[in-house]
Amino acid sequence: MTLAFVGGTHRTVPLDLRERLAFSAEQATEALQRFRRLFPGREGVLLSTCNRVEFYTAGEKEAQPPPTKQLVSFLAECRGIDVGLLESVLVEECDEAVVRHLFSVASGLDSMVLGEPQIVAQVKQAWAIAQDSQTSGPLIGEMFQAALRTAKRVTSQTTIGRERLSIPSVAVADFARGVFERFDDKRVLIIGAGKMAAETLRYLRGAGARDIVVLNRTIGRAGQLAARLGARPGSFENLEAELTAADLVVSTTGASAPIVPLELFKKSERQRAGRPLVVLDLAVPRDFDPQIAGRPGVWLYSIDDLSAACAANRKSRQSELPAAFAIIEEETQRFMGDLLHRTTVPVIEQLRAGWNETGVAELDRLFRRLPHLDGVAQAEIRQAFERYAAKILHPPLVSLRSASHSGSPHGLLDALKRLFDLKE
Amino acid sequence: MIEFVSRISVVCFVASYAVALACEASRLIFRSGVRGAAMVAFAAAGLCAHTLFLVWRAANESSIPLSSAFDWYLLASWLLAGGYLWLTISNPRTPVGLFMLPVVLGLIGAAQVSSREPFPQSPATQIWGAIHGSFYLAACVAVAIGAIAGLMWLIQAGRLARKQAPLRGFRMPSLEKLAHIQSRTPSIAAWTSSAGFVSGIVLNAVYRQRELMETVPWTDPVVLRIAALVVWLVAAAMVSGVVSRRPDAARTNAWLSLVSFGVLTASIVWGLFGVTQHGAPPAPTAVHSEAAP
Repeated sequence: MTLAFVGGTHRTVPLDLRERLAFSAEQATEALQRFRRLFPGREGVLLSTCNRVEFYTAGEKEAQPPPTKQLVSFLAECRGIDVGLLESVLVEECDEAVVRHLFSVASGLDSMVLGEPQIVAQVKQAWAIAQDSQTSGPLIGEMFQAALRTAKRVTSQTTIGRERLSIPSVAVADFARGVFERFDDKRVLIIGAGKMAAETLRYLRGAGARDIVVLNRTIGRAGQLAARLGARPGSFENLEAELTAADLVVSTTGASAPIVPLELFKKSERQRAGRPLVVLDLAVPRDFDPQIAGRPGVWLYSIDDLSAACAANRKSRQSELPAAFAIIEEETQRFMGDLLHRTTVPVIEQLRAGWNETGVAELDRLFRRLPHLDGVAQAEIRQAFERYAAKILHPPLVSLRSASHSGSPHGLLDALKRLFDLKE
Repeated sequence: MIEFVSRISVVCFVASYAVALACEASRLIFRSGVRGAAMVAFAAAGLCAHTLFLVWRAANESSIPLSSAFDWYLLASWLLAGGYLWLTISNPRTPVGLFMLPVVLGLIGAAQVSSREPFPQSPATQIWGAIHGSFYLAACVAVAIGAIAGLMWLIQAGRLARKQAPLRGFRMPSLEKLAHIQSRTPSIAAWTSSAGFVSGIVLNAVYRQRELMETVPWTDPVVLRIAALVVWLVAAAMVSGVVSRRPDAARTNAWLSLVSFGVLTASIVWGLFGVTQHGAPPAPTAVHSEAAP
């Protein structure tokens, strides 16, 4: 075994246990330093996000990775959790499965939101902490480099991370941005002070919105949200005037009937001088009369419209999964081939050295028996010997490389060792 | 180098623009990391060849831009191709070439079937001829840009009305940006085409005054078609101005721009195949001037 892993995700570990198991950056550094003391010569990376805690370890020859049971105990001790609790929820993998898992994680294929891009930065950060803690060696380093390369391939060669999945992000990026070129000169009106309003407002702020008014029947809540998000509160009594001034409306009240009926909208429409209006009606039941959608210059989107767009995006991501997994598989096989090829290097070196030693001895004997040969002739004969040795060795070495990439060079290695009397 | 430039033909830049157009169309079918660079490379190569071709004609065949119908169309297509390259570099995710390159290729096609004979020239009418041709060139480009923006507006508005997320590789500019462009092109087209028509009248008067050549009669098909185009563009600009503060102004402008482009296309086709005195060879003793097709 060269590579090992234990870990748990949102699929296997309940939230309360995941919260206890999570490591901050400082705690991860401490844990890795402890790992270095407990398991000298082994490499390790601790990846801890809100949805997963995973420990990757690697080692070769006499410094093999610790058994996964020990890794579970190690994690339990680090976080002061009963080992029994973790044993039942943590997953263990070794060698090729570890590589495949890490590549999937880095590419966002194992995330709660399929294809989410933040995981790449989290994987990079985990590896950086391991480098600082001196627990990242050549094996782990190559594996994480390959994981980041794979994530980049998945991102560039599939659309798995392209389409947006949350309602506020789709509302702003796919619809509001389709109408407006910029938001810094637009008036944004938020009606209601719910969570969805706050999240949409964050996206709008990110898109450049500056002039934002929050209306709520409870003025206190409007004031709180406005203060938190750098907006200004307004009076619900001024709804008609605010509608007239607004370019984009986000409505998320809990009202049981539309707060903007068609008649009210028509009144404000007359004073709008033809300016387009985008309405993101995220309330259920709806805050805007659906007939308003038919008014010229109005782009009205209800939560169902946006959910349908999100679902289409999600479906589009799902349809890219086979292509993404094909990339993961290809990169895993390539990495494992390279890794196995590393194990053949000592045998190849021994084989070459043996042939070289025999060649040199034979040449010395030949030159002693043919003393009339000058330097040029001797050099020619040496080169001929070297070319002959290289040509003879070429086919078995190619077979060995090929066997490494197909996953099982051990039979050939054993045969070479026995045939040429090579030592371990 | 000179020999290389002299061998550049229309086929060279048409082929480059056609490949760039094929690259643009492929956005709808598959994704590629190198397509953007390939598109810019082919468009830039086409524009470079196009420029060298015009420069070569100006330097060696005394065919300065606007001096024949052929050169006029090539200059119009050159301006649009330059605009396409700039837009593709500044907005790489917008498939603007799908809309602009067919117009560029259409204008080059019109050049191919139009006359390469230089318009009659003389020092007396050279300035008025250049003004006349330049204003029509500006009007033609403005109408084309307005129509492209209008078509893109309608596609984008259709997508937003159907409440669909943007198609992969087919992200249009915002309605606001497109409306901004198409709100200006009707008045630009109206003013420049009117100025072109007036300068044509002045040019005709100069001919008559100086008895340089036979004047173009008012009933000449070219005069009639250009007059019809000017009347339509002025009417379109007026309608655009009247509806500018209405909520459906952008949609009205989009349709007006498309109809204007249709009228312009009909006018060009009529000009290509109609019989006219406009830009006809000079009478045996006369000396003539530049003009638009």
